[in-house]
Amino acid sequence: MSSEGEQTVKLVSSDNVEIVTERKVAERSMLIKNMIEDLGAPGEEPIPIMNVSENVLKKVLEWCAQHKNDPAPTQDDDADSRKKTTDIEEWDQKFMQVDQEMLFEIILAANYMDIKALLDVGCKTVANMIKGKSPEEIRKTFNIQNDFTPEEEDQIRRENEWAEDR
Amino acid sequence: MADAVAKAAPPLPTSKDDINGTWNYLEWGVDRIMVNLSYGLDLKTYMTLYTSIHNFCTAQKAVGAQTNLNSSQRGAHLLGEDLYRRLNDYLKRHLTGVHTEMVKHVDEALLTFYIKEWKRYTTAGTYNNHLFRYLNRHWVKREMDEGKKDIYDIYTLHLVRWKEDMFGSTQNAVMDAVLRLVEKQRNGETIEQSKIKSVVDSFVSLGIDEQDSTKTTLDVYRKHFEEPFLEATKVYYEKESAEFLAVNSVVDYMKKAERRLDEEKERVPLYLLQEIMTPLMKTCEAALIAKHANVLRDEFQILLDNDREEDMARMYKLLARIPEGLDPLRAKFEAHVRSCGLLAVEKAAQASEAIDPKNYVDALLEVNTQYSALVQNAFGGESEFVRSLDNACREYVNRNKVCQKNSAKSPELLSKHADNVLKRSQKSSEEDDMEKLLNQVMTIFKYIEDKDVFQKFYSKMLAKRLVNGTSASGDAETSMISKLKDASGFEYTNKLQRMFQDMQTSKDLNKAYEEHLSKGFSSDDGIGTSFQILGAGFWPLQPPNTTFAPPALLVKQYERFTHFYADKHGGRKLTWLWNLCKGEIRANYIKNAKVPYTFQVSTYQMAILLLFNDSDTASYDDIASTTMLAKETLDPSLAIMLKAKVLTASPEGKTEPGTTYSLNYNFKAKKLKVNLNIAIKSEQKQEAEDTHKTIEEDRKMLMQSAIVRIMKSRKTMKHTQLVSETIQQIKSRFSPKVSDIKKCIDILLEKEYLERLEGDELGYLA
Repeated sequence: MSSEGEQTVKLVSSDNVEIVTERKVAERSMLIKNMIEDLGAPGEEPIPIMNVSENVLKKVLEWCAQHKNDPAPTQDDDADSRKKTTDIEEWDQKFMQVDQEMLFEIILAANYMDIKALLDVGCKTVANMIKGKSPEEIRKTFNIQNDFTPEEEDQIRRENEWAEDR
Repeated sequence: MADAVAKAAPPLPTSKDDINGTWNYLEWGVDRIMVNLSYGLDLKTYMTLYTSIHNFCTAQKAVGAQTNLNSSQRGAHLLGEDLYRRLNDYLKRHLTGVHTEMVKHVDEALLTFYIKEWKRYTTAGTYNNHLFRYLNRHWVKREMDEGKKDIYDIYTLHLVRWKEDMFGSTQNAVMDAVLRLVEKQRNGETIEQSKIKSVVDSFVSLGIDEQDSTKTTLDVYRKHFEEPFLEATKVYYEKESAEFLAVNSVVDYMKKAERRLDEEKERVPLYLLQEIMTPLMKTCEAALIAKHANVLRDEFQILLDNDREEDMARMYKLLARIPEGLDPLRAKFEAHVRSCGLLAVEKAAQASEAIDPKNYVDALLEVNTQYSALVQNAFGGESEFVRSLDNACREYVNRNKVCQKNSAKSPELLSKHADNVLKRSQKSSEEDDMEKLLNQVMTIFKYIEDKDVFQKFYSKMLAKRLVNGTSASGDAETSMISKLKDASGFEYTNKLQRMFQDMQTSKDLNKAYEEHLSKGFSSDDGIGTSFQILGAGFWPLQPPNTTFAPPALLVKQYERFTHFYADKHGGRKLTWLWNLCKGEIRANYIKNAKVPYTFQVSTYQMAILLLFNDSDTASYDDIASTTMLAKETLDPSLAIMLKAKVLTASPEGKTEPGTTYSLNYNFKAKKLKVNLNIAIKSEQKQEAEDTHKTIEEDRKMLMQSAIVRIMKSRKTMKHTQLVSETIQQIKSRFSPKVSDIKKCIDILLEKEYLERLEGDELGYLA
């Protein structure tokens, strides 16, 4: 019998594409890890990843493979300084150089599949895109329609005057 | 209660935010997990359940997302409350059903049911916790972060529901069943221990910290398991032990109690929590030992009287487990040893009027040896018992029948015994044996209160052994002195060691003297001499109590030596202790001897015998006037020679003026060396009495010097304080009487070393 590390699992994307990957890689997802814990190793039975499409799932698994040997995150490391900074390690930065749509898909998938570290990296990437930009620039970056009336905009500006960077 | 067939799955929720549709599907899934997990759960269902929860919680059309700006103070609105509430309700319903079934069972069947349901429920709880993880991560986390105490993560929610809807109304019955099982086991039946273990685990799991639901406490377990368990244990053993003692002996009871305690100890790792060990042992000890402690202790005297070592060890171990369990035992032990010691001495004293030192010491030792072995074997050498033994020994060693008249009798007899051991005797003891005997002496020495008396006698007898060369072994002597030094300090043995030094110095001196002679300063006159120069301060020797005119032959010798010594050490005064001198005389006059006999004689006897070199007869008066010996010394010296038939008297056997003595030319003896230098009985007795007298004097000096030392450092002091301080200082030598100390203080006041001040104060006068 093969050891846990060499076992493979079969994932099925929302658009019905089967992807075979190492069990260890797939278990970066707490969803899959818990499921295997409850139901046992799935063997040949495919695991439906209902909310993630093939191209996104592949991308997510690429990240998981890169990070498969990372130490498991400790319970509740909210206090961890990692969260407070927007520093991202080099490989992850390159990994995140994708179009915006893909970026958001990755974030959603990480949220759904419960991959905390990937979710953090995704959110930090977005945060870095916002950092240092004016509201107009931000709107442009994310293609947001300004739906405030000038009065509302004034009010908000006054309320947040203290935070302005002068 | 499981349905025979699993229900078919309801339709999947049609839209993400459809709470009814979502819950409808979820309830089917949760119920399947809760009730029919044995039918299995496929991956797809699992993932669908998870996904529907995820979808519901992430539904964009969240209520109030578009209300006014103030709502943003709470941050994003998180969905999930509905799911949480509905799951909570579901669990309530489920448990009501379980509860209805549970109350139909009793005893072991109830236990089985409880455990089955608990296992099923908690397994489902683990699954649900995973399925509802998205809810846990977001909605539940937010609620808990905001400080809501009544929201728990999904697994804990399961436990909380069980605790509130099930536990409260069933745990008494469950616990009763558990306790009945344990009682069965205690009665020797075989039980399914795993059941109890499961119940323990369940009770422990339910200990949720009310302040922080992510933590657990042992409160539930303590209150609902440990407490009743201990109470039942107490009742069981109190009953059992009372019944057992009513029909069985105490010894048998102790064996049983010991076994029971072991059993309970072994029970803990089998199916109880390690935490219960201490209170469980306490409970058992209270019921099995403390409750019957008096009965046990009453048996102790009987065990002591019959030397039941093993049973005493058992009793010791049992009573040692309860607080203050051993104190009464120690008191009894001490009293017993004391009375045994007194009895042994009494027996030994009955044998003869003047008790033989060896018999006396043996009697003291026998009791000590027996009971120190008991302390080691039965009482584990426990220090308090050792102390009791020491107290008892000190009592019977210092205050027994032999010491009644004179408390210093014990040290005197002990030192005499030591002398006998160290003296050269016919049956020379092996080195090992000697060491053993000396250690025995030290054992008793430890208990002697009047150590100064021992010192006095010991140094006297050591002096004799050294002067007369009667020591069995130099090593043994040294070893004994170092033992005494270890026990009582340098000062105690200082003089003894100085005596050894003098012996060595004398040896060297004699060698030097021989050399001096061989250089031909004087003619050899056929007399061999050896001298011992002993420091007057260190040696407990007394000058002769008779006048003596040494024979001319000897005078020449000792004058020559005196000159030699004066040359070497000017200014030293030599006092000749004739009473300790001795010599050997060759009897060339005896007819029938091929080899001449040699007489070992005292100097006094030598002086007498030398008179017969000039004539064959001498009258009593002649001898007395020539030797100038006092009658008390002359008479016994003559008597010995008469008895040995070296001299003959006419009239026969008399030693008084008017008697004439003649040399016996027909003297016969078995050995070639004849010892005529035999110590005189009356002299020995006199000496002992004198020694006792000097001890009194020494003690006064010791007390006075202690008082002066204390006062010199304190300047002023209260009378009573001074007395107790003095006792402190000298109790290692002997135990002084308060009245004696007061007398000494009076003497010092008279001599104006001290003065009376205001009140009770005394002052020091420099």
